[in-house]
Amino acid sequence: MSILEKLSSTPMYLICGGIIAFVALLCVVFMVRAYRAGKAIGMDTAKMKRVIVSSATFSVLPSIGILLGVIALSGSLGIPWPWLRLSVIGALHYETQVAQAAAEQVGMDKLSSEQMTASGFATIALLMSVCIMWGMILSVLFNRKYTGKFNKNIKKGGDTSALGFGDMAMTAMFIGLVSAYIGSYIGSFVSSDGLFTLRGDWTPLIVVAVSGITMALFIFLSKKPKFAFVENFSIAVSMLFGMAAAVLINLI
Amino acid sequence: MEQNKNLNWEKYTKTTHKIGKAASIIVLIMLVGAPFLIGKYLGAYPNLAAAGKGFFSVGLVWMVSSVAEFLIYTPMLGSGGGYLAFITGNLINMKIPCAVNARDMVGAKSGTRENEIISTLSIATSSLVTILILAIGVAALTPLRPLLQNPSLQPAFDNVVPALFGAMAYKYYRKNMKIALVPLVVMSLLFIFVPSLVGSTSFMIIPSGAMAIGIAYYFYKKEKRTN
Repeated sequence: MSILEKLSSTPMYLICGGIIAFVALLCVVFMVRAYRAGKAIGMDTAKMKRVIVSSATFSVLPSIGILLGVIALSGSLGIPWPWLRLSVIGALHYETQVAQAAAEQVGMDKLSSEQMTASGFATIALLMSVCIMWGMILSVLFNRKYTGKFNKNIKKGGDTSALGFGDMAMTAMFIGLVSAYIGSYIGSFVSSDGLFTLRGDWTPLIVVAVSGITMALFIFLSKKPKFAFVENFSIAVSMLFGMAAAVLINLI
Repeated sequence: MEQNKNLNWEKYTKTTHKIGKAASIIVLIMLVGAPFLIGKYLGAYPNLAAAGKGFFSVGLVWMVSSVAEFLIYTPMLGSGGGYLAFITGNLINMKIPCAVNARDMVGAKSGTRENEIISTLSIATSSLVTILILAIGVAALTPLRPLLQNPSLQPAFDNVVPALFGAMAYKYYRKNMKIALVPLVVMSLLFIFVPSLVGSTSFMIIPSGAMAIGIAYYFYKKEKRTN
């Protein structure tokens, strides 16, 4: 049995699948508890159902993108381990990078099945786990204290009152996040092939524009009472149009 | 009645932290333990010296990134959503936009009970969808592989994040152009003049976010003075 066959064997599926099943169960527990608590505090159940539908449709396309990450890594790490990494804790942009760096540390030229050994795999797997676990550790240590600060006014009974600048700061942080990414697409296009050469990849910019315009149409439609339901699918469909534009650009 | 509700909420929050902490510790043990268990099955354990060296070469960078992610995103996600998001991962490319979108859809404010519920529902749903799609994808990998790896479809999957941020940008910029303009221009100029920074975009979120928060604070104060 080759190393790649061993890495995709039944015991590997059992180990990785078991952990994924545990996390799935955890999600169900959190979801049911939140839904019941929402009902208990008098939240509109229709609102909560809308959030569930919208979050589900929102997550389909990025999840297919993540599945491609599993496929990409499966050539060198087998199927079960990338499946686990990208289902639990991992991040698409992180896994390949760390797996590659870890492969170099165990003496491989590159991450490939030809050079993979049992010890090499176990070391790469350990490094992939250790490098990204800090968010969880910080949550265990500080989530309670940290979120407690923000929930102070709830304890005082001021549940639905505005929280001053806090809410605005969260929106601003998200705007900062989006701006950093869009700025990187602009920078790549303008200067990645030399300062102001405009020879970089312009596909992401077109995708951003198409996706944004589609979103504008959806927002316009959702304001009409007949089409209010489209809001639930606005992000997913906007993304689909943006991604379709990338395919078309490539064909031209 | 209100007091009872508060008592229940206190209990709910306490239990959320208990479950969140216990689950995070269990998942941590499973994730760090799995390479050793797999090593036992394969007949070779991890090389700890190589793993240590690897950690110092790439792990430290991700450690700093994790601290920043925790500080920035936990208030957005609330306690339940926070625990779940850090367990299930894919924060920037999925969980954060998903939770922010859900919160915005119902108009929930940060730090409120409603935000806590909405955020937890959103992150849990999003995680379950990913787990389900990956499980189906892995089960059907052989027939799906040619389709998903079709060269003509590759640009679509290479551009999932721009597609997501394009839609989100319109949604958030249109109401907050005063806040968005400066970080967008500054970030664009920075990436134009130092293109090598593109590889560190996830770190550039910190100055970009700080700038946006600073500008938002300026307008918040100004508005308060006017009122």
